Amino acid sequence: MKKNTFKMLLVAIMAISMFLVGCSGKTEETGGKKEPASNGGSGSGSTKDTLVFGRGGDSTSLDPITTTEGEAFKVTENMFETLVEFGEQDTTIHPGLAESWEPSEDGLTYTFKLRKGVKFHDGTDFNAEAVVFNFERWAGGDEEKFPYYANFGGYKGDPGHVIKEVKALDEHTVQFVLTRPLGPFLWNLAMSPFGIASPAAIKKYGDDFRSHPVGTGPFKFVEWKQNDTVTLEKNPDYWQEGLPKLNKLIYRVIPENTARLNALANGEIDIMDGLNYSDEKTVTSNAKLQVIERPTMNVGYLGMTTTRKPFDNKLVRQAINHAIDKKSLIEAFYAGKAVPAINPMPSNIDGYNDEIKDYPYDLEKAKALLKEAGFEKGFEINLWAMPVARPYMPEAQKVAEIIQDSLSKIGVKANIKSAEWATYLEQARKGEFDMFMLGWTGDNGDADNFLYTLLDKDSIGSNNYAYYSNDELHDILIAAQQEPDKDKRNDLYKKAQVIIKEDAPWVPLVHSRPLLAAAKDVSGYLPHPTGSEALTKVEFK
Amino acid sequence: MAELAKNAADISMMPAEEKLVPPWKEALQSFYKNKLAVIGLGIVLFFIVIAIIAPWIAPYGFKDQVLADRMQAPSSKHWFGTDDFGRDIFSRILYGARISLWVGFFSVLGSVVVGTLLGIVAGYYGSWVDGIISRIFDIMLAFPSILLAIAVVSILGPSLQNALIAIAVINVPNFGRLVRSRVLSVKQEEYIMAARAIGMKDSRILFRHILPNSISPVIVQATLAIATAIIEAAALGFLGLGAQPPEPEWGKMLADSKNYITQAPWTLFFPGIAIMLTVLGFNLMGDGLRDALDPKMKQ
Repeated sequence: MKKNTFKMLLVAIMAISMFLVGCSGKTEETGGKKEPASNGGSGSGSTKDTLVFGRGGDSTSLDPITTTEGEAFKVTENMFETLVEFGEQDTTIHPGLAESWEPSEDGLTYTFKLRKGVKFHDGTDFNAEAVVFNFERWAGGDEEKFPYYANFGGYKGDPGHVIKEVKALDEHTVQFVLTRPLGPFLWNLAMSPFGIASPAAIKKYGDDFRSHPVGTGPFKFVEWKQNDTVTLEKNPDYWQEGLPKLNKLIYRVIPENTARLNALANGEIDIMDGLNYSDEKTVTSNAKLQVIERPTMNVGYLGMTTTRKPFDNKLVRQAINHAIDKKSLIEAFYAGKAVPAINPMPSNIDGYNDEIKDYPYDLEKAKALLKEAGFEKGFEINLWAMPVARPYMPEAQKVAEIIQDSLSKIGVKANIKSAEWATYLEQARKGEFDMFMLGWTGDNGDADNFLYTLLDKDSIGSNNYAYYSNDELHDILIAAQQEPDKDKRNDLYKKAQVIIKEDAPWVPLVHSRPLLAAAKDVSGYLPHPTGSEALTKVEFK
Repeated sequence: MAELAKNAADISMMPAEEKLVPPWKEALQSFYKNKLAVIGLGIVLFFIVIAIIAPWIAPYGFKDQVLADRMQAPSSKHWFGTDDFGRDIFSRILYGARISLWVGFFSVLGSVVVGTLLGIVAGYYGSWVDGIISRIFDIMLAFPSILLAIAVVSILGPSLQNALIAIAVINVPNFGRLVRSRVLSVKQEEYIMAARAIGMKDSRILFRHILPNSISPVIVQATLAIATAIIEAAALGFLGLGAQPPEPEWGKMLADSKNYITQAPWTLFFPGIAIMLTVLGFNLMGDGLRDALDPKMKQ
C-alpha cells in the first residue's frame, strides 16, 4: 500500500508541475523585460574594455593553416593577418600586410609590396623573408597537416601545384611565380588560414605552435583553456594607429544556444553567435540587447545521391525540385531571415547567374515528371537530416519534416534518419544517403569555392556528397579556374549554373542570414560573411 | 491407461475450478467498490475509445501541416492550439492515444508471454535451468531499465516497432521472476503431485495446472506495467529513439516543442497531460486490481 501512496504522490507532483510549466510562460515573459533593465544598470559601468564572445564550440587549433574549422578562424583572425584582406563585410580584396600588388599580364607572376614597420608579437620583424618562410612551410606539408593549402592545387612536388616559386626580391617585396593562372589566387591569399606567422616562433615551438600562436594581428595570445576560454590581449605595437579599441578579448565556449542566450542576458558574455531564429523576439524585446545579422554567404541544400536509385534519374530529381515549397519553409523555421536558393551559390558572389529561374512549386508538374520517369506510384527513400544546428540550417530536423510532408503529397515516402555529426559527414562522403540535408559557408567569396568544391566530379569523395558527375561541367569549371579575365570567368560560371540547374543534383533550399546577439553597448561589430572576423574596431559605448 | 489418467486429471481439476469461480466474482465486486479503481478504469476506457474512433472524431489529420497557422494558441478552431508545423494538437493527441496504448498493450503482452514461459520453466524444472534463467534476469535487472531500452533500440535502429520490442525486452525479467516464485510454491501443491503421480506429461501439468494457478498476480503486474511502458515509450520518443516523424507520439511531441516552452506552452502542456492521465488511469486500475485479487489485502 505504501508503494501506491508513493505513486499517487508522484503523479500528483507531475500534475502540479505540468500546470506550473503551463502557467509560467507568461509570467516569465513579463518578468524578463524588467529583469535585464536592473541588470544592465549595474553591468554597463564606466570604461569597459574587456569583451567576452560566447560561441558554441572550442577552437581545434590556434595555428589557422592546420585546420578547416570555422570556430578556429574566429579566434585566429584576431592574431594573424594575411597579405591581402577581405572587405569589412564582403569579399572584395583590400591591402593587408601587402600595401599593393601587381599581377603580370599572363597572370603567372604576382609582385607584392609589403607594409613597412610591422612587427610580430614576439618582437621580430615582418618582412619578405617571413612570407617566403611561411609559404615554404605550407608547401612542404600535406592534406593532413595544412588542408587549405590544397587550394593552390596541391603541395610541393604535386603535378597540380600552382605556386612554382616564392621569392624575396628585397626586404619588402615578394614575388609569386605560378605554373598556370589561378583565378581565385588573391581570394585564396585573403583566407584566414593563410595568416602570416612569425618564423622565429615556428622554429621555437615546432608542432606546438598550434597552442602558441604568434602573428602580427591586433590582438596577441595570452591563454587557451581547452573547451572553456581563449584569452587574447591588445597588441600595443599594432601597425594601425589607435587600434584595437578593446584591451582584452575572451572567447568562451557555451555549447547550448539557449544557455548562451541566458549568459548574454545575465551580462556574463557580451556577444553570442548562433542565436535561434525562434529566440529573436526574446532579444529584441530586451532593451539591453541587440540582434546582429551576419551577411549571407552560404547555402543550405537537399542533396540527392545521383548514383543511387531512383535519384540516378534526372526526371526524378527535377520532380523533387518542383515539390518543395521553400517560401513557407523559410517563414516557419528561418523567421523569414533567409532567401530561397535557386543556384548552389548566393547571389552576392561574382558569376551568379540571375537569369536562371527556379523550378516553381508545382505538385502536379512534379507528379507528371515522376510518371514520365516511371514512378507513377511513387517510392520510398531515407531522408537524412543533420543532428546539429548549422549556420545555414539551425533546425534541420524540422526542415526535414516539412520536406517529408511535401514529398508525401507526390507519393514519395521519406523516412527521416539522422546520425551523430561526424558519422553523418562520413556517410555522406561515402555516398551512402539517398537524400540528405547539408550546406556550405563560403571561404573566400569565389564561385570556384562553391561550384567546383561542391559539385565537380573531382570533389566526389570530399565535398561532392551528391556524387554528381558531369564532364561538360568539369571542363567549364577547370577552364574558369585558369581564366584570368574576370568577365570571361564569370560567363563560364554562369554557364556552369545552367548545367547544374538542368541536372538538378540538389534542391538548393536557402541562403540564410545567421543571427548573433550582443549587449546594446557593443558597437563597431561587423560580422563577416565568411564566418570569422577580427574585432579590431569593436568597443563599448 | 491413458484414458484413465485423463479422467483422473479431469476429476482432480473439477473441484479446483469450482473453487476458483467465486473468488473472481468476489474480486470483481471489491474492485467496483473501490472508487479510485473505477475512475482509473474509466480513464483507461476513455482513452481506448478515443484511440479507436480517432480517425472519425479528429477535426484534422495528424500530419496535416499548415505552416501559415503555426503555433496558434488554443481556440475554437484548434482546441489545443497548433504546433510549430501548424498541425492541430488536439487531433495529434487523439491519434497519439493509438500509439501509446498500442505500445503499452503489446509490449506488455510480449513481456508477459516470454516472461511467463521462462518463469514457468525456471520454477518448475529448477536446478541448472533455473540457474541460467535467473542469472540472465539478474543481469538484465542490474541495468537501469531505460538504459537497457536505449541499448536495445540502438542495436535495432530507432523506430516505434523497435521501441515496442525494447520495452517488451526490459520488462521480461519482472514477469519472469514473479511467475517463477509463484510456480515454486504452486508446484508443491498436492494436486500437482497427484498429476505427476498418475504420469501426466510435463507440458500438460505446466499449462493446465500450474499456469492458471500462477497467473493472477501477473494480471495485476501487467496492468501496472502498461503504465510504465507508456512512460518508457514516451521517454524513448522524447530521445528520438521511438516513434519517428510525423507520427504523433506524445513523448516525441514533447521533445519537438521543448524549445517553445515560453512562447507556446500549450504545445507541451497537452501531450504532457495526456501522458499523465493515461498513466494515472492504468496505475489506479492496477492498484484496484491488486487490492481485489490479493487475498492478503482484503478488509
